[in-house]
Amino acid sequence: MSEIDIPQPPAKPVRTLTSRIWHLAWASVEFRIGLCVFTLLLLAALLYPELRGIDPTAMNIRARFTPPLLLAEGFSWAHPLGTDQLGRDMLVRSLVGLRYSLLIGVTTVVLMLVIGCAVGMVAGYYGGRIDMLLMRLTDAQLSIPMIILAITILGVARPTIPAIILVLGLSGWPVYARVMRSTVMAERSKEYVRGARVLGASDARIMLSLLLPLVLPPIAFVAVLDIARMMIFESVLGFLGLGVQPPTPTFGNVIAEGRQYLLNAWWIATMPGVFLFLTLGSINLMGAALERARNSVYGGQR
Amino acid sequence: MTGDSLLSVQNLCVDLNTSAGSTAILRDISFEIATRQIVGVIGASGSGKTVLARALASWLSPPLGISAGRILFQGRDLVADAGLAKRLSGREIAYVGGNPAGALDPTMTVGTQIVEKLRAVRPGISVTDARKRAIELLSAVRIPAAHQRFHEYPFQYSGGMMQRAMIVDALISDPALLIADNITQPLDVTIAAQILKLLRELANEFDTGVLFVCSSLPVACDASDRVMVLHGGQVVEQQPPAALVQRPRHAYTQGLIAELPRLWDETTPAPMHGDARQPIMSVRGVSRSYSVRKPGGLGKVQVQAVRQVDFDVYAGDNFGVVGESGCGKSSLMRLLTGLEQPDSGEVLFEGTNVSTSSSAELRRLRRRFQLVLQDPYGSLPPQSTIGAILEEPLKIHRIGSARERRARAAEVMNEVGLPPSLYHELPMGLSAGQRQRVNVARAMILEPRLLIMDETLSALDQTEQGKMLSLFERLQAQHGFTYIFISHDLAMVRRVCSRIAVMYLGETVEVAPNRKLFFDPAHPYSRALLSAAPTLEQRRYRPEECLLEGEPPSPIDLPPGCSFANRCPHAFDRCRLESPRLRSSGEGALSACFLHQPSSQRATTAELLR
Amino acid sequence: MFIMVFLAKRLAQGTLIVVLVAFVIFTLLRVVPGDPVRLMAGGMAPETLIEQIATEMGLRDPIPVQFGRYIASVAQGDLGQSFMRPASGAAVGGASFDDMTRSERARVLDLIAEAAPKTLQLALLAMVFALIVAVPIGVAGGLHPGRWPDRMALYLGSVFVSLPNFWLGIVLALLLSVKLGWLPAIGYRGFAYTVLPAIVLAVEMAPFIIRTLTVSVAQIMRQSFIDIARIRGLSRLQIIVRHALKNASVPLLNLLGVQFSMLLGGVLVVEFIFDYPGLGLLTINAVLQRDFPLIQGIAIVTSAAFVLINIAVDLATTAIDPRLEY
Repeated sequence: MSEIDIPQPPAKPVRTLTSRIWHLAWASVEFRIGLCVFTLLLLAALLYPELRGIDPTAMNIRARFTPPLLLAEGFSWAHPLGTDQLGRDMLVRSLVGLRYSLLIGVTTVVLMLVIGCAVGMVAGYYGGRIDMLLMRLTDAQLSIPMIILAITILGVARPTIPAIILVLGLSGWPVYARVMRSTVMAERSKEYVRGARVLGASDARIMLSLLLPLVLPPIAFVAVLDIARMMIFESVLGFLGLGVQPPTPTFGNVIAEGRQYLLNAWWIATMPGVFLFLTLGSINLMGAALERARNSVYGGQR
Repeated sequence: MTGDSLLSVQNLCVDLNTSAGSTAILRDISFEIATRQIVGVIGASGSGKTVLARALASWLSPPLGISAGRILFQGRDLVADAGLAKRLSGREIAYVGGNPAGALDPTMTVGTQIVEKLRAVRPGISVTDARKRAIELLSAVRIPAAHQRFHEYPFQYSGGMMQRAMIVDALISDPALLIADNITQPLDVTIAAQILKLLRELANEFDTGVLFVCSSLPVACDASDRVMVLHGGQVVEQQPPAALVQRPRHAYTQGLIAELPRLWDETTPAPMHGDARQPIMSVRGVSRSYSVRKPGGLGKVQVQAVRQVDFDVYAGDNFGVVGESGCGKSSLMRLLTGLEQPDSGEVLFEGTNVSTSSSAELRRLRRRFQLVLQDPYGSLPPQSTIGAILEEPLKIHRIGSARERRARAAEVMNEVGLPPSLYHELPMGLSAGQRQRVNVARAMILEPRLLIMDETLSALDQTEQGKMLSLFERLQAQHGFTYIFISHDLAMVRRVCSRIAVMYLGETVEVAPNRKLFFDPAHPYSRALLSAAPTLEQRRYRPEECLLEGEPPSPIDLPPGCSFANRCPHAFDRCRLESPRLRSSGEGALSACFLHQPSSQRATTAELLR
Repeated sequence: MFIMVFLAKRLAQGTLIVVLVAFVIFTLLRVVPGDPVRLMAGGMAPETLIEQIATEMGLRDPIPVQFGRYIASVAQGDLGQSFMRPASGAAVGGASFDDMTRSERARVLDLIAEAAPKTLQLALLAMVFALIVAVPIGVAGGLHPGRWPDRMALYLGSVFVSLPNFWLGIVLALLLSVKLGWLPAIGYRGFAYTVLPAIVLAVEMAPFIIRTLTVSVAQIMRQSFIDIARIRGLSRLQIIVRHALKNASVPLLNLLGVQFSMLLGGVLVVEFIFDYPGLGLLTINAVLQRDFPLIQGIAIVTSAAFVLINIAVDLATTAIDPRLEY
């Protein structure tokens, strides 16, 4: 609704946009559900393998193909999610896989944010030729299908964790650069930026102390969704054999191995997937809630 | 002139229902509108006038709701029969709003949408007939080349043209009642004057009653047969405009009339400029054009935003730059402040050329001239506290220690009348007036000599404007500031400025002392501007005599000759061939018009080629 | 007229992008460790033989020279020949072809031309599935912000986007194919083999469509022209169908352009799981076998497809919303 002239209620206590987004997100059910599930999984991933003291790579041929609790005959309380073809504990393997997955997901997104925001900020702020050059570069990068690039590099080189992070991070930044560029362009034409320039502020000062605190949070909130996306990519790579290499368990390589035993031990391929799904689901719920909160806060703001 | 009662509103009450309980927005509203009558509704923001307009257009949605009263339209009660109200809306009761740019779907042509509307409310009409009728009406509201414009998209229309199209859209179903809600608000005064004239003609021609909602008393008085004053959700009085202006009964109306600035009040002393004859800022033949993508094609075209602007601003002066939207005021501001460089000409500040200064020089210069920005909402960084905003300039110029900066910030806050408690607040919770004070405080914290005010007051209401103006006067007396006011508001300029430049399509068409400009303007455009200015006073200039139909030409392909020629009632052949230059028109004024220049003073060939 | 100039300009830009992509992939493949000749010739081949083959194939020339030669032949429509695959029976991978000579190897263009239609069929079917599911959910969500259709859109979107495609593929294959026997899963012997992979892909795409539609429909419904349309006398159905959905289709089309590479990633994995003989499977095998010409060819074809799709999207969106042209 446009300008309707009803008397305004007394102004609410004023908070920064960022804290308003947090509050709004926190008020939504989905954010809380997501946060609870995520915290549980995170704690489990951090503590359970250590508490149980089970080595995720320790084989136990006698206990192999133990099904998960209550789901088939011959289960064992020692292995709540059963064991794989080599008798390794599926729960511990899944949780350790979760650690790697989260580590790679978060680091990758941070890397993407840093590169993307730097490129987008410079392009959007200066405009003109610099913008043209950087954006053509971004376009070119966007038009190389990310996954082909990633598997090409990792397939031909050796997939180590830093290599995976680097490849995923390098291939994911263009989206951020674009978003950042367009927001910076919009902000740059606003009067307070002009005002700062008239006051004599340098470009670097305007970019870092004026624009960055303003344009980064809305982008960073949405980046939460990308953590989940990157975790999927990481597991896809693992699944294709181009991720972290066995015997280190990751969701991808565990499921890939389990796929061969799908008919007689279905849980090997499916159980880690349930974990992955829960983790991604919780992150996505939080991310979606944050994104909506951001949209409604900024929708009302500008 | 007026016929039978068309609409009769009786004891209408509208409430705002929230979880905290309900608040009355409109109380006991009663009035009548007859066929061919225009009833003006005037009130401050928050008085409920938009709610009233929407209640009549059956456009109230929760939490707003009608709680009592009747709306009798041709004898039938719309409050009791919501279904009837819905059927009538768009057909018998038409609505035109104050945001023409957002009124139609941007992805469909204007014509298609008008036809779509007509066929939605009158299903019997064939597409061909509907189209014919739409084109007829578009020409009737004097949209040039209507059959062509019919196929254009909303974004290809100017604000004034779009508002005409929306009037067509409203009138095409032959409604008995037209609700015009702030329709002239976004338009320039000369365009708004044309729309008002049109509205009056159409009401007679189409036998339509009009409810004209408006926030400006002079505009409402110009437009209406009877004016209703709304205050705090109640009708405090209704009278014919002449009676209302001469004998306002209610204190609120009296206050409103007293507060209105006057353009031709002889008792208002024209502010005199200081005695210093040394210009503090000189603008010499400044031009600036921008390349924009050619509409509908590839390649660039030049938009000439500022053309050959010349004027001097003397120390202690209040210099005004007035003009309508698109006249190049904002571009000129960017040139004056050194944010952009002119293509030709120079801007001198205390003898130093702003346009060619190095960035370090410019930074030093900037301590001495500052800009106060236009939009109180976009001009403050939303994430910084007031204190930080005020200290920022000191930090940039590395002045003082943290403690000194803080003390200085507190000092200017006090000077501009901001409570110290706001130091830690974010701009979000501040009122528009407070934000503008912050802007002023930020500009003066560096103790400049010259302050450039870019539409600084246009977002504020009358009362707040008055307070700010006295603040400016006080600060000027204390600190000896020189002001340049860039504004579209003639009344404000009349009150404050000693000398005024009038801009039209990027040119200064007249530069004159205050009194001379208002009482004896030399340029026809200045006269047109004065004729369209909203005022209750006896007009010195009538819009019918000063302004032809039509809109300013596009700054992309300017016709040769004087750029005002197509709207000027006095234009003759020479005006369409040559561009007049600024020449003295007496009493210290300059004007760019052949009417005041002896024909022997022919422009040289070189000037013609320029 | 405008269209022609626009097309010419965009195609020129697109060509530049494709060349750039080709160059990046080309260089990348040659600077990373791992010698394809070693794989071609087999582990037992003596070093001198490998060097001989490599020199014959021009693999020891400076990279710019190699690239120049390559791009020149690409310009003539020749994407080169596969390092690994014989001209017949292209889809089998993994075996060694020690004694291969140049003439027997398959042409990259043929390999791609053979696989591409299958992938296209898969992608289109998936798109249809995704739209059928996502459009009603997304539009309903956008029309009732904050209410249950909106919640449902949020939850369904979050669930769908959290299902890893490879895992979903395995689970669905296990359930629908192995346990229930409803649909065939592995390989390709007819249209029915496309259905299961398309479902998996559709689940991957649907949440993005749902999210975009929810946001854009809600945003458009808040615009003043929608409000005013009602007062002007238009019916709600007319407003939604003729105005809201038309406007909302612009971001949806843009999404298709931007998410193209995501779709391709999905195709890759899904084809791998279901052993579906399309471009994705071809790519993975090419990478695992270090089949440089094939990888390059696929990269060029896909980036060209990306460029073309984006041009098409831009044309479509300007046709819908002419403001974008200006």
